[in-house]
Amino acid sequence: MSLQITDLRKRFGETQALDGITFGMEPGTVFGFLGANGAGKTTTMRIVLDILRADSGTVTWQGTPSTDLPRRTFGYLPEERGLYPRMQVLEQLVFFAGLYGVPRRTAAADVRGWLTRFRVPEYADRRAEELSKGNQQKVQFIAAVLHDPDVLIMDEPFSGLDPVNVALLKAAFLEMRERGKTLIFSTHQMETVEELCDAVAIIDAGRLVANGPTADVKRASGKRVVRLGVAGDPELPWLADLDGVHVGRAGRDYSEIEVIPPRDPETILHAAIERGERVTRFEIADPSLEQVFVDLVGRQAAPDEERTLAGLPANGGA
Amino acid sequence: MRLRPANVATIARREYLVRARTRSFRVATVFVVAAAILVTLGPLAVRWFDHDSTAKVGVHVGTTLAFDPVARLDATVNLPATPDGAGPFTFSTVADAAVGRDSVAKGDLSAMLDITRDPAGDLAFTIVSKDGPTLRVPTLLRQASSVLATTDRLLRGGYPADQLSALGIPPAVTVEGPTPAAPGEKPKDFAGEVGGALTGQALVIFLFIAIVLYGQWVAMSVAEEKSSRVMEIVLNAASPFELLAGKVIGVGALGLTQYVAAMVPAVVAFLLQDRIASLLLGAAASTGSAASGLSTGLLVAFAVLFVLGFLLYAVLYAAAGSLVSRVEDINSVVAPMTMVGMAGYFIAVYTASGLIPADAGWVVVLSYVPFVSPYLMLSRFAAGQAGALDLALASGLLVVAIVVCLWVAARIYAAGVLTHGQKPGARALFTAAFASRR
Repeated sequence: MSLQITDLRKRFGETQALDGITFGMEPGTVFGFLGANGAGKTTTMRIVLDILRADSGTVTWQGTPSTDLPRRTFGYLPEERGLYPRMQVLEQLVFFAGLYGVPRRTAAADVRGWLTRFRVPEYADRRAEELSKGNQQKVQFIAAVLHDPDVLIMDEPFSGLDPVNVALLKAAFLEMRERGKTLIFSTHQMETVEELCDAVAIIDAGRLVANGPTADVKRASGKRVVRLGVAGDPELPWLADLDGVHVGRAGRDYSEIEVIPPRDPETILHAAIERGERVTRFEIADPSLEQVFVDLVGRQAAPDEERTLAGLPANGGA
Repeated sequence: MRLRPANVATIARREYLVRARTRSFRVATVFVVAAAILVTLGPLAVRWFDHDSTAKVGVHVGTTLAFDPVARLDATVNLPATPDGAGPFTFSTVADAAVGRDSVAKGDLSAMLDITRDPAGDLAFTIVSKDGPTLRVPTLLRQASSVLATTDRLLRGGYPADQLSALGIPPAVTVEGPTPAAPGEKPKDFAGEVGGALTGQALVIFLFIAIVLYGQWVAMSVAEEKSSRVMEIVLNAASPFELLAGKVIGVGALGLTQYVAAMVPAVVAFLLQDRIASLLLGAAASTGSAASGLSTGLLVAFAVLFVLGFLLYAVLYAAAGSLVSRVEDINSVVAPMTMVGMAGYFIAVYTASGLIPADAGWVVVLSYVPFVSPYLMLSRFAAGQAGALDLALASGLLVVAIVVCLWVAARIYAAGVLTHGQKPGARALFTAAFASRR
């Protein structure tokens, strides 16, 4: 494991924000870090970055403790979005890169490259306060990657972006993975995680509840999903008589049925045929990450409250 | 806590350039420079406006006199400040007291001095003026009256009239300390001490203004950065310690720039005051003593105490700024520091002006205590009560205090910048400073 987080614990006053978090990932991984609001995602990220110190536990990258790593190892897109409102975009990005030791000229050229890639080359000379929220977010992403970090940590990178910009950002993610970079991000958009992430960790109330390759985490619940379509009988009322079967989503063309062990999904096909139904669709699949998340955390993932440049007070704890 | 000088420089550079470009900074600098020059040349302007305005005073003699009162007054109380200038009054005789009163009422005369004789034979005076008895013209005419009364008594007592003019020549007077200077030792320089104390008072005022004004800038800058939430991006790249140091240095350098921009023309105007005075008011208008209190040693002391005093307060202002979530809340968190600074400032000003004896034990002790020492040591040094060794000791203690405060401030800062929406209290401060943060 190249980024290894071991037994992190952190307490804020009465609150045990992190209670023994352990997980790891290989270089070149896109990693989804999931949890409900206040689960401890931001605290974990801040500890990995050494912005915050854990009460106990370790974080290592390629075997070196994160406290001893050069700062440019990591790139960070915080959840608390912010730029210097009155500074020009180019100027402030060159400033951020300068803190990581990137020469001004190199940084300026890279900034222009990134702005062009994000289809906003004309923003270089604008002040940050003149940009829309989505465009400010793109600038913040550029700030996180300008020094070409090995590990990129992003808190809710997709929140507040329109579909076009989400696609641009996803493309950037995949290109960075091609170059062997490790990307960790938190999000509440489970489809995005399923689409991009090689592995995930789910935390709840400061504890790790699932971790591993995305497919394994989905399968680990033991649940399977059956998509069953039957000609002329979309309601499938007879399913109610079977044990270990729960209709998750009833539809006109097909229904999605959760199959709870020890029931074998194939017995549903047998039951349909025995009843003389004409089966138009039968498919055994893993449950969606959304379902796994709800089962493990007990509630839906929801976006955190919005943060803006002139952000209102929010909690700074977990 | 890590400290990479390159990061401190990058942060200080941004702080300096971004702030220097703001319209408010430019406007304020122009204003401060203009104000500094005006204040320096203010006294000169007053002299210029005053220099040929004299009060017209009518003299009515309602008795017999053995001398000419107008000539006597011109030779005594109406002497010009400069050889080719005019005295404060233009005296003329008034034949009729009633006409004189009328002229005062119409404003043709500033005042009338009516001279009569009482039954005992002494002169009696009535000053007719629109001004109250404590104002300048009546006060000067009261002095004039006693000169005339004394002259009259002397002449009646047989004093030779031709020797009247010699009466006003001042005697030779010297003031010296209780122990006369030993051979080879310089005599105690009273005049220098007075000049030094006055200059010291002025420098203490400049120091106080600079520390409070530029300290507030540091706090504002931190609070702005925090409320715009840009802090977390910066914190991944730079340690709180670097951020704090860069901010204090950047804002300090900008403050110093504005300060020098204001001080250089002011000092030049101050030093050229005599020449400007002689140009405007005539060759002999210079007083020659304007810059007597300003010495190289005092300027060095001022520079050292300015830099150390600013650093000490600025790191605490930065820590305070990190505790608030909104720029508007700054005043309440910086209040304790401003109060301590004000206390030092007032003691120093009172010491310099003589209201508090500069050699009082508690003043001497306080002049070494950081937070108030920049003001008090400057004041004592300027008055000649403290020497280079005292200055070195106070500076050393200041450096120690700066290091300690920097350590505490960096911890408060590190915790404060990540905390939003909590009211800063003593307990929060303590927890923040000593929680385990990098």
